[in-house]
Amino acid sequence: MTDAKLDLKYVPTTCPYCGVGCGLNLVVKGNTLVGVEPYKRSPINEGKLCPKGETCWETVQKPGRLTKPLIKKDGKFVEASWDEALDLIVKKFTEIYQAGGPKALGFQTSCRTVNEDCYALQKWARCGFLTNNVDNCARICHGPSVAGLSLSFGSGAATNPFEDVLNSDLIVMWGSNAVEAHPLAGRRVMQAKKKGIPIIVVDPRLSATARLADDWIRFNPSTHIALANNMMYHIIKEGLEDKEFIKERTKGFDDLKKTVEKYADATNIHGVPQEKVREFARRYATAKNAVIIYCLGITELTTGTDNVRSMGNLSLLTGNIGRPGVGVNPLRGQNNVQGACDMGAYPNVFSGYQAVAVPDNRAKMEKGWFLKEGSLPDWYGVTLTEQINQAGDPIKAMYFLGLNPTVSYPDSNHVRAQLQKLDFCVMQDIYWNESCEFADVVLPGTCFAEKDGTFTSGERRVNRVRKAVDGPGESKYDWEIISLLAKKMGLKGFDWKSAKDVWDDMRAVTPGQFGVTYEKIEKPEAIHWPCPTIEHPGTPILHIGKFSAADGKGTMFGLEYRPPAEVADAEYPFTLMTGRVIFHYHTRTQTDRSPTLHYEVPENYVQMNTQDAKELGVKNLEKIKVTSRRGESIAIARVSEDVAPKVMYMPMHFYKGANQLTNTALDPLSKMPELKHCAVKVEKITEA
Amino acid sequence: MAKKGDMLYAWTNDANIKEKAELGGAVTALWKYALESKTVDAVLAVTKGVDLYDAKPVIITDPKDLAKTAGSLHCGTLLMAKLIKKYFDGAENVKIGVTVKGCDMMGMYELAKRKQINLDNVIMIGVNCGGSVSPVSARKMIKEKFGVDPEKVHKEEIDKGQFIIEYEGGHKGISVDELEEAGFGRRTNCRRCKLKIPRQADLACGNWGVIGEKAGKATFVEVCSEKGANLVSGAVKAGVLATEAANPKGLEIRAKVEGAMLKLGDKWRKKNFEALGEGKDRLKKIMAETARCIKCYGCIDACPICYCVECTTKNPKYVAPGYLPVDFMFHLIRYAHIADSCVNCGQCEEVCPAEIPNALFMHSQQVELEKMFGHMPGVDMSLPLLAMVEEKEERARLNNTGSDMIYENVFSPVSKK
Repeated sequence: MTDAKLDLKYVPTTCPYCGVGCGLNLVVKGNTLVGVEPYKRSPINEGKLCPKGETCWETVQKPGRLTKPLIKKDGKFVEASWDEALDLIVKKFTEIYQAGGPKALGFQTSCRTVNEDCYALQKWARCGFLTNNVDNCARICHGPSVAGLSLSFGSGAATNPFEDVLNSDLIVMWGSNAVEAHPLAGRRVMQAKKKGIPIIVVDPRLSATARLADDWIRFNPSTHIALANNMMYHIIKEGLEDKEFIKERTKGFDDLKKTVEKYADATNIHGVPQEKVREFARRYATAKNAVIIYCLGITELTTGTDNVRSMGNLSLLTGNIGRPGVGVNPLRGQNNVQGACDMGAYPNVFSGYQAVAVPDNRAKMEKGWFLKEGSLPDWYGVTLTEQINQAGDPIKAMYFLGLNPTVSYPDSNHVRAQLQKLDFCVMQDIYWNESCEFADVVLPGTCFAEKDGTFTSGERRVNRVRKAVDGPGESKYDWEIISLLAKKMGLKGFDWKSAKDVWDDMRAVTPGQFGVTYEKIEKPEAIHWPCPTIEHPGTPILHIGKFSAADGKGTMFGLEYRPPAEVADAEYPFTLMTGRVIFHYHTRTQTDRSPTLHYEVPENYVQMNTQDAKELGVKNLEKIKVTSRRGESIAIARVSEDVAPKVMYMPMHFYKGANQLTNTALDPLSKMPELKHCAVKVEKITEA
Repeated sequence: MAKKGDMLYAWTNDANIKEKAELGGAVTALWKYALESKTVDAVLAVTKGVDLYDAKPVIITDPKDLAKTAGSLHCGTLLMAKLIKKYFDGAENVKIGVTVKGCDMMGMYELAKRKQINLDNVIMIGVNCGGSVSPVSARKMIKEKFGVDPEKVHKEEIDKGQFIIEYEGGHKGISVDELEEAGFGRRTNCRRCKLKIPRQADLACGNWGVIGEKAGKATFVEVCSEKGANLVSGAVKAGVLATEAANPKGLEIRAKVEGAMLKLGDKWRKKNFEALGEGKDRLKKIMAETARCIKCYGCIDACPICYCVECTTKNPKYVAPGYLPVDFMFHLIRYAHIADSCVNCGQCEEVCPAEIPNALFMHSQQVELEKMFGHMPGVDMSLPLLAMVEEKEERARLNNTGSDMIYENVFSPVSKK
């Protein structure tokens, strides 16, 4: 071994935070991570990083990492051997399965971990327990995108690459604060702005992204469908729809037309003056190439799927899809939210969105996975937050890989109460988080810097993750833990020696990604799926010439506006929106351990309007209490005009923060909870 | 025996190096000798990563590994100085040999002034640099302007004002001027650069001025220091290097090439700085562009002037933590602390995720300050306008006196004891 003093190794890999998939170099001396250096060779970010990417190495080799399996004995966690911990899990899961069947178990994987881990977990759940009760946290970010875009276009993924906005003539950012939530996708918008491409931001809040806009359209929270329908009314009335495109490539126009006729003037709902709606409609319809970029502002509502389909409607109506510079692009939240879904960690599909309801698909998987013919279930499994609702009855045991449900899921008090009802619970993670106390076994996994694998970014690009250092203590690769469990159960097909083995296992049963080999993604250009053969170059832009749907058509839908499940009233007079800040990621398990990021935002805050603050006598930076029907949260008030009167905004990252307040009501089509909209009241904290 | 001021043609006698290296392999041979003679513990150089667009630093202790560092990569835009500070403790405890471009060398001096690099433990072999091209931009340029698949290119060089590529089935050159007019070509800071021959390194090497039968087979070496002279003499004595006096005609040609490059640098400075406007207009432009900042601290991290443990941009009294947009004070602090010493290495701009032309702003200020005060950064150990403070001592002084006027001692020096 070289003297660490005289060692310097650059390990090119992919950032572990958001779905942009930036390349970076981890700098290693010996087995110590000493920094991040730009990977200027990456076409995605050209070496540029956001505050989180810059500091991602800071949180890897820190005290507090899980280093040994822990088993709860008499209410206390004690260290255990791997054999003891895994035997216990196999015993408990098998007992519960034998007593309660496949619906007595729930499996959930994180979108922050590599594809290989996600594939391994769902394969184990399906092979070991013949259950479809497997889901990932895309459910609470872009589940509606998967559902909505599949209905509109036949594929639930972003249509065009990030860089493609530079080919556009008009960029519409709708419910996306990319500058903070996807900074290096935000950079593409900044580049576009410098190039003179007009940008319209549609957001109730003056976000960092709205500040970039040439035109910021403030509308009432959660009134997307009313605004989109109102726009489409004007487009059709003025004859600006793309008639040829509609005729050749779509269906459902009449349905759409009939519905939007009722939205000649919806200002009373969305709050945008008609003149402005008309102008926006004209600009979108008449731009040579217009692209819509959207994010969780669209999805995290009980109308999430319909909101997404409304974006689809706009693009189909105006022919803004299927070529460079156009499209409908969800900015996928987490680094591997696209991938976790692609891997089949989903209750109704196997990897590559092969529906479990289709007998041929089941037969194929049974063969590939050495299962008895006819053994795999055809039913739609239980989704992420519904599994929480079913904890205790009928779900008795749950397995969480890299999740912190008591902070990130809606209505934290409810989540805590439900987890207590489980007979057995496993948490596999890299740090002890706020949810671990609800587990019976806690297993130490490895983080992005400690394993090989892949993350699939929001532009369907399969990026390599490369091991730079060993994991701490006795930690193991996460797919390896799953394979050990499966092998202890005597299952065949889990004899993986490396991440590549897991990947190749997945490729063998996944036509859309068969051509994505590790060899082909060695360079940072990587490959965008679909990529069905070894010779195939990948598909950066979807739907050119033909949609992915079975009939090759795009579908427009007549969709009615529905108000959120809970709206402000006399008792809870404020509308609370939630979102992200650039300095943190999700429940801060990693980011708050970075001194740099902790310094920026150490505490929960809430934005409120100047006028509201004045009426309540709240001063800027004063701590206030925010209460909903489900719980309360203390936050520092940031008083400004960034939010409209009676509207508030709280970041979702903090323990006992936003999710104390949020609503569990679900979007009927995608089971997305209404994380972005609930009613709250505000009180000053009186000194005792 | 070589001595300071010598102008030599040099080439290696080592058959292995000869086979791999360009221009007679003098630099590789010098490093081989430096390692074998224990003049240095390690050599920090650049090697190909995933392909020729991916320049990666590599630390070499075994002379056998030097072969992989041979040749130049014009898509290499690394700054070696900051790497030595960050990852080798500023060469405090190891002797490092490092191959430097002009900006690397200037960064070394600036960090040395700030006691962040110990130049006593460093040998610098400078290489002429006409500028470098960011890798992604280079690939796009090759695809769009050359009409060649960048994957098929196996060699690139900048020679006689052209960017030249060799690829499967041919080679092609396009004038750098033409490429830069189209928005490609060298990084914008490189275009403005006027340090093409790094004479403040221990040796300044390159191919400019190698003519006659040695053309392409030897490296031009200007011996710039005693250390450099000893290295050359040692390598010759050890039999790995051969030298002869440079052809006087070659010297003229070298000066001519350099002169042309400097002229071009002046042209770009004029063009870039004039476009910034003056006075209030310039300030307005700077404020508008910096308003996009997302506070990644990447500029600070990459800057060869920045070294403070407690950065003033992280003082909540000046810049409130946790807010976007970032207060303009963030950028004012950087200008105040760095502008007099900016070496225009371009790193702050290249890594900026908000597309802020940081290097242009900083360099434009440096040039103005140089005009006013005559201080040129990066070329010797002379202290900048605001002079240097030992961070710990200065912080102690601020704490003791309750003053928040950092650098106060520059204008009314506080005597040490």
